Amino acid sequence: MEKFYKIWLVFDPRRVFVAQGVFLFLLAAMIHFVLLSTDRYNWFEGNPVGGAGDSASLIDLGARLVTMV
Amino acid sequence: MADETVSFTGLTDEQAQELHEVYLKGFYLFSGVALVAHLLTFMWRPWFAGPEGFAALEAVSRTMIG
Repeated sequence: MEKFYKIWLVFDPRRVFVAQGVFLFLLAAMIHFVLLSTDRYNWFEGNPVGGAGDSASLIDLGARLVTMV
Repeated sequence: MADETVSFTGLTDEQAQELHEVYLKGFYLFSGVALVAHLLTFMWRPWFAGPEGFAALEAVSRTMIG
């Protein structure tokens, strides 16, 4: 680990910082959009836990429908 | 050795060490923020469902929140 600084003798720091910044930003943006597209992790909709789209509650709903029929 | 000769990037060994200190500080700060965010998010809605799905976990949080 103490020799890791030698990476800057091989790779240009400016290019590494720009590339890493762009990569991390795009990765983070992508993950955030994926989470927003789900019911469970959409933090704007305030979808209550166990609401529609929750797999456990869908199973419950299915079970209830079966018992009704 | 590497201190005397110019490296591939033009940095001296000393400059590379100095840069690496700053780089590591940024790395630890970023990782720390990400770790805290993950902990808070996991407390909010865990992403490891048990064998019974999320229902078992949510029964607890429902009784806690009301």
